[in-house]
Amino acid sequence: MFGLIGHSTSFEAARRKASELGFDHIAEGDLDVWCSAPPQLVENVEVTSPTGKVITGAYIDSCFVPEMLSRFKTARRKVLNAMELAQKKGINITALGGFTSIIFENFNLLQHQHVRSTTLEWERFTTGNTHTAWVISRQVENNAPLLGIDLSKAKVAVVGATGDIGSAVCRWLANRTGVGELLLVARQQQPLLDLQQELGGGRILTLDEALPEADVVVWVASMPRTLEIDAASLRKPCLMIDGGYPKNLDAKVAGDGVHVLKGGIVEFGSDIGWSMMEIAEMEKPQRQMFACFAEAMLLEFEECHTNFSWGRNNITLEKMDFIGAASVRHGFSTLNLKSQLQAAAA
Amino acid sequence: MPTLNSPEVAAISDLDGSASQLPDFSSASYKDAYSRINAIVIEGEQEAHDNYISLGTLIPDQAEELKGLARMEMKHMKGFTACGNNLGVTADMDFARTFFAPLHGNFQQALKEGKVVTCLLIQALLIEAFAISAYHIYIPVADPFARKITEGVVKDEYTHLNYGQEWLKANFEASKDELMEANKVNLPLIRSMLEEVAKDAAVLHMEKEDLIEDFLIAYQEALNEIGFSSRDIARMAAAALAV
Repeated sequence: MFGLIGHSTSFEAARRKASELGFDHIAEGDLDVWCSAPPQLVENVEVTSPTGKVITGAYIDSCFVPEMLSRFKTARRKVLNAMELAQKKGINITALGGFTSIIFENFNLLQHQHVRSTTLEWERFTTGNTHTAWVISRQVENNAPLLGIDLSKAKVAVVGATGDIGSAVCRWLANRTGVGELLLVARQQQPLLDLQQELGGGRILTLDEALPEADVVVWVASMPRTLEIDAASLRKPCLMIDGGYPKNLDAKVAGDGVHVLKGGIVEFGSDIGWSMMEIAEMEKPQRQMFACFAEAMLLEFEECHTNFSWGRNNITLEKMDFIGAASVRHGFSTLNLKSQLQAAAA
Repeated sequence: MPTLNSPEVAAISDLDGSASQLPDFSSASYKDAYSRINAIVIEGEQEAHDNYISLGTLIPDQAEELKGLARMEMKHMKGFTACGNNLGVTADMDFARTFFAPLHGNFQQALKEGKVVTCLLIQALLIEAFAISAYHIYIPVADPFARKITEGVVKDEYTHLNYGQEWLKANFEASKDELMEANKVNLPLIRSMLEEVAKDAAVLHMEKEDLIEDFLIAYQEALNEIGFSSRDIARMAAAALAV
């Protein structure tokens, strides 16, 4: 059995969803009520791979909403309680979706292995970052040519280059894709220097320096609300892959030769009988999902019950190969511009 | 929408240290709050003892097992009395009896009417889940003596929660409607008890938000085990969330 731990994109969206599901008392509650609401296993699903293998899974809503980010202890409790519930339900491998893995990592929840009488078994959880990194890399490879960008000559900026996903994407683009030049953008200098040394190349730039030079920009950092991007200074065409969470790049820059693609999203080959991807605001909620969620499904399909993606900077090319091959084998495809362009034309 | 890069988030991410800091067990304010919390725990264990003995009269074939559970509660009561003594605190038992009075009244009424299901819901589910969650939250911020005692108690309380669960599971279909009704009447009492104790609990570094969520987790787990669907459970639990 696989598990997905997710949450609504906003407090308002969470209330709407709760009301749809018939949980009126909770839907009407204020944020304090939600802060005390325990995690819920809201849906069970069955997924069939093109190989014929059938797996079952469960979606757990942590009852976390992004408005709780400023309440550190609440956010921590939501994540740990949802993980405890997943483990108590006997789920083999659970992906930490949305802010869940970010909170886990940034608030250092590894120190909190004991939740009440439960000792969390880390091997039952995955951040899903390996699959996300592979999907984003493939999205660069598939979509740049659609815009007439020749990757072997292109400058590709990775914003958030030293993060877990960012560094894996850099590794892939440098070693497998062979891009013209990598532009490395991140806040801290030392990890950037380490990454540059590991890659044997790449130019370290500030965001303002990198953007006007880049043919492709991969965003894998959560973006501050206050960030302003001068669309006029960007190259045309420019492919922007919004791999951060939450995805809010579109409104800032899309249009006039700048193409924004939602990064780290996959589409399954057939409809999955679930309703929970609607809360993640997917265009096709019956088929599309975050690649990190799909990683839990892939690990279950492959009976690879281990914390495949865990900690920081442990994503190797070999792991990306493994999860990428599984992704293709079990019927997932990466989200591409074509479908977005068609949707816009319609 | 705030992100992890927002200033309000950056400012709070170093709070971890203060959260795990222990209170000053010897301060007057701590002892004052402890006199009520300690009394609630002692009274709670005493009530639990009496309730299990009473339940034995309604389920005579299990009276021996229930006597065993009651004995454990008596042992817990003595342990918690020692915790108060250890800190030089006199438990405010009058406060505790008033605190438990509405729930006590409902149990006695159900007992008089021979309603086993309602009695079990009040004692073996609500009170036990309330105790388990509070003890879990207390352990990391307790003084070393009380911590040891409470750790031992928690293990026992799970077996008590389990007792009620098993009985109600075996009689689920026949008990369902009464459970729903008893939940509607008694869960709001637990909620007001949590509200009443919140200020004193905060002095002991136990937060209301944690208490409510942990209580609901334990209670929902029990309802799930008994046989209720997730949707029924969410509806039943909503009575605790709505103030």
